[in-house]
Amino acid sequence: MADGVANGPSTATVLTMITATASQNLNFGQIFGGTPKSMGYNKDDSSAIFTVTGQPSAGINLELILPEYLSLANGSARMPVIFSTTDAAIDTTTVTPSTVGAGNGWINRNPHSLPAAVIGSGGTTKLYLGGKVVPSVDQKAGSYSGDIVLSVSYTGS
Amino acid sequence: MRKTAPIVIAATLALFLPSVCLGQTVASTESLAFGDVFPGVPKTVVKTSASAAEFTITGTADAEVTLDFDLPSYLSTTGGNMPVFFSSTDCAVDSTNPPNQGSPSYNNQNPYQTITYRLGSAGLKVWLGGQIVPGLAQKAGSYNATIRLTVTYTGN
Repeated sequence: MADGVANGPSTATVLTMITATASQNLNFGQIFGGTPKSMGYNKDDSSAIFTVTGQPSAGINLELILPEYLSLANGSARMPVIFSTTDAAIDTTTVTPSTVGAGNGWINRNPHSLPAAVIGSGGTTKLYLGGKVVPSVDQKAGSYSGDIVLSVSYTGS
Repeated sequence: MRKTAPIVIAATLALFLPSVCLGQTVASTESLAFGDVFPGVPKTVVKTSASAAEFTITGTADAEVTLDFDLPSYLSTTGGNMPVFFSSTDCAVDSTNPPNQGSPSYNNQNPYQTITYRLGSAGLKVWLGGQIVPGLAQKAGSYNATIRLTVTYTGN
């Protein structure tokens, strides 16, 4: 027979879920065979833009899975795509690709190894990405595409 | 002969007087508080931290008691659950006066099993840690559950 019983609470507060959305494609536009074309992360209408939302000021990890090639839809031809060590920027103040600066987050970052970042105080952080395609002199004409995958997670801090 | 009879009767009654135990109380004195939790990021509260659950037991010094937890599997909010786990070493008991949560006298106990220990001069303190595992899409909000501790004298 019990001589004493006590009920104690266990509590937790779950914060806002993190989300990631591809808001704009990395668009190289028209290119000529044999003529590489670069696209900086600072092009408002052509740079890739990913939008991350979550708990304001929370630490996050960002990881990009980048393609090595763009391909024709039928897979009959491929074209190399390259990402340099300065092709990414992280914007915690949600300005624009063309106006983002060091004071807005992190600029000129390596998209293959992004720094630990934070969700902006407004609950949003954006990732801008540029790159370079290198068509061969006999590159088959057509519309090429590839997938860029962004994974985000909370660091827990 | 007549004068000695009442004395014999009184001595016989005394043999059946029970010993009197002091009253016992058990109270939840601290919540197991995980605080802010990020979806997808498990969080652990260790039993030695200020966020651990604390139960305070008072009663007869040196009396042996058993402790039995009734532990939740989930913390809940309206429309959502979040798993909570307790390991086989998540409980600590201490009978020293003053209590020493940093180095308890009966440490690393399994809260899923009956714990037997003796009360000290200041009773017992029982601490409990745990871990919650929020999902990646865990619903935001305040979650809670109840931890029940039942304390029973063994008579030893």
